[in-house]
Amino acid sequence: MMLSRKLTPYLYLAPMLALLTFVFGFSILRVFEFSFKMVRGIDGPWIGLRNYRLVLSQPLFWESVKHNLILLLAIPAMVAIALLLSLLLYDRLRGWKIYRTILFFPYILAIPIIAVVMKQMFQFSGPVNEVLRWLSLDFMALDWIGSTDVALWTVMMLIIWRESALGVILFLSRLLSLDESMVEAARLDGANWWQRAWHVLIPQMRGVIEFYVVISVITMLSSVFAYVYMMGGGRGGPGTSTMITELYIYNALTRTSLPGIASAVSVMLFVVSLALIYLLFVIRRRDHGDGA
Amino acid sequence: MKASHSFKQAVLILACIVALLPSMFMILTALKSQEEYTFNKVGLPGAPVGEHFQAILFDSPFFLWMLNSAILAFGAVVLGTLVSCTGAYAIARMEFRGRDTIFAISTSLMAVPPVVMIVPLFVLYTQLGLISTFSGAIVIYAGLITPFSVYLLTTFFRTLPQELFDAAVIDGCNHNQILCHVVLPLSVPALLTLVVVNALFVWNDLLVAVIFLQEDGKRTLMAGISVFQGRYNNQIPLSMAGMVVASAPMVILYITFQRYFIRGLMAGAIK
Amino acid sequence: MESVWFGYLKPLNGLLSEDTLRASNPTVLSNFGGNTYRAGWYPLPMVWCYNKDLFDKAGLDADAPPKTWAELLEACDKLKTVGIEPLGGGMQDGYWAEWYMSHAFVQTLDTVGEAVELFIGDKDFNDPRYYEHWVRLEELRTLGFLNKDMPSLELYPGIDLVVAGKLGMGQSIGSRLPADSKATNGRIGSMVMPVFGKGQLAGKPIVDTQGLGIAEGSANPEAAAAFIEYLNTPERLGAFHKATGWLPSSSRFDAELIEDASVKSMWKAWGQSPNITNVTNLMPGQFYEQAAIPTGQQVVQGTLTGEQAGELAARVAQEWRDFNPDLVEKYQEWVVDLSK
Repeated sequence: MMLSRKLTPYLYLAPMLALLTFVFGFSILRVFEFSFKMVRGIDGPWIGLRNYRLVLSQPLFWESVKHNLILLLAIPAMVAIALLLSLLLYDRLRGWKIYRTILFFPYILAIPIIAVVMKQMFQFSGPVNEVLRWLSLDFMALDWIGSTDVALWTVMMLIIWRESALGVILFLSRLLSLDESMVEAARLDGANWWQRAWHVLIPQMRGVIEFYVVISVITMLSSVFAYVYMMGGGRGGPGTSTMITELYIYNALTRTSLPGIASAVSVMLFVVSLALIYLLFVIRRRDHGDGA
Repeated sequence: MKASHSFKQAVLILACIVALLPSMFMILTALKSQEEYTFNKVGLPGAPVGEHFQAILFDSPFFLWMLNSAILAFGAVVLGTLVSCTGAYAIARMEFRGRDTIFAISTSLMAVPPVVMIVPLFVLYTQLGLISTFSGAIVIYAGLITPFSVYLLTTFFRTLPQELFDAAVIDGCNHNQILCHVVLPLSVPALLTLVVVNALFVWNDLLVAVIFLQEDGKRTLMAGISVFQGRYNNQIPLSMAGMVVASAPMVILYITFQRYFIRGLMAGAIK
Repeated sequence: MESVWFGYLKPLNGLLSEDTLRASNPTVLSNFGGNTYRAGWYPLPMVWCYNKDLFDKAGLDADAPPKTWAELLEACDKLKTVGIEPLGGGMQDGYWAEWYMSHAFVQTLDTVGEAVELFIGDKDFNDPRYYEHWVRLEELRTLGFLNKDMPSLELYPGIDLVVAGKLGMGQSIGSRLPADSKATNGRIGSMVMPVFGKGQLAGKPIVDTQGLGIAEGSANPEAAAAFIEYLNTPERLGAFHKATGWLPSSSRFDAELIEDASVKSMWKAWGQSPNITNVTNLMPGQFYEQAAIPTGQQVVQGTLTGEQAGELAARVAQEWRDFNPDLVEKYQEWVVDLSK
């Protein structure tokens, strides 16, 4: 009786631990191991830091990292758009619920679907450019998909379009949970809409804004594979202008048979992600102290 | 006051148009014939045709792909949820050594980008012959959704009042019975949210799908779209019809179960 | 060939009859170290296609397409004068860049083995002779002969432009010809890429092939071999043609069964005459992904000059050497096979 008492928790834990150990534990250990080996197929000889040295001296790798960093520029735009729209929705004008349903729609469509549609819309001879030319805005009818200078920004537009929708919902639910008395007081004091937003509402949203920024940063660094894979023709094109870290790993694994290299990059990405999550943890802990 | 009202409405309406524009393009283009699209890219279809939808609905792998995605989502959610329920119950309501450490480690696993796992798992699966098997992929997906599920359920279970448990123990229930008859029935909202988040994650995933399910017959919807787009990139209205059909399940679910959807997506982002 | 070096394929020499194997036209790409690892299945003639109606419109002889580079530039000029986009296709998915190398790069070489030496860094892409083909591509761009939406369009929609009469010339694949010929009533022509290069391989038609091999781990290789033998009987070859509209690779196939005149004449000039293979099949994956595709894309785009493309190729070849030291020797062995 006593024995089974002691064992019970572990029995309940066992399936979870087994699954996590296999999917995460095994993988993380193995990816570190592989990063120090010249892996061909299944295994290979130990080569120490060679993979890291090769990758860190390869221009293509740094280009991939640079592109991930450029995507971070999407975040101010996402925050601004999400703030503006959520504040407007918060006014709860007539029909606001319908607006909310529609504004969240971009996040409902899966990335591959929306990327295929956007890719067609932004073809050099496609509908968007046709409209721009018709409006005599020819200088704006860029080669959105085909130009190495523009392609990454096109991907960024798609990311902003989709991820802002998430921001709208996060910010709106925070707003709806706020105490309205302060806003009322400000309005009675004669503050206009913008002043109410800037001085009363936004300060109270600091926590959720910070949270949104941090998860967006993590997304830009490690979860944009689908966007780039679909828009860039599967190879980070045109040229290498949309190559990002995840695609670099994918290519190293599947197209150039270099699991060791892929592992080295995976390890570096892992370490950076952990550092960012730690940052998020610190921020949230600080905010919980503030009563967010 | 009225003027600023109209201005605000105008901004919102503009935002809504931008939000819906790609979908409108998608639907309108799917109704145009191949010839019409070459000269009429922007306007309404002059002579709407149903042939593309017909081709997609009756003659394409889309439904097979959706079935595969559904199988994966179902399998992963069932496995992941089962494993997480028992694990979270233990962490939330039992005392044992290492409890907090295990919870901390499990929760921090939420931070690991899935791409980090694919190299070693791909190599292992190749060795074991598990590439392009449903069971292999389901295990991976279940693993990926477990940290978040355990976190959510644990925090939820912890909020349940102690009295419930005390009463059940007095009644002579063992853990199993408590879990099944007391805790789970009360957890339905949290479980539903969890199911939505996790199912969406698996359904929408591309990276794991293209690597671990390479066989034609096992392709998921997302992987299938990437293949389909390449094969039919010169038949744009047909591609758009495919996209409409592919997005239909989620759109229908969204409109029907808006509340759960939104709650689920937000919870997913918090991952 | 890396599949062979990693031990995934069985040699076919013992399993298939010598006669069947040779007749199937596996091409030199299927051989290594004295063994053949593939039987030819169906051919992929690589052609430059052109629209005969557009040629007529521009005052060009539709049955005598340009053969030299100078003739090509002249033809482009004539097409441009009557308002037709002369040349190009779709570059977004990158394959056009690969095909360009198949046609143009090979013109600067004397043997196919030379290509491999360049890919693995034993010879240098910085030598003007070896990046000349990118310089020529740059020339086409600066003269305004390439279609404007080339960077954002994909390969097959690009070929469709030629078929639809919107583009004068493009790169295509022979297996498209039956459908394209039918759609235009035989007005799609096939030509070898006009010659600028001074290598011995210049001006020769290119035929790639898809093949069938037997896995090393196969449970019953004899059955697999018997099946391949069966597929190579004249009846099955004819049935293949009937079912797919395309040609099988084996010379046992009766070419008289081909109905379309354009396809027949194309096959006569490509498959039934001396031809060379597709050199882009010889490059390591890393070179393909990081040099072959991006160079073409960026030259067409205007972000790289021909010379810079050569620099990029040379650099990637070196990187491949650093990343894959265990494969260098294998490729060097292969060069010997390919230079025979």
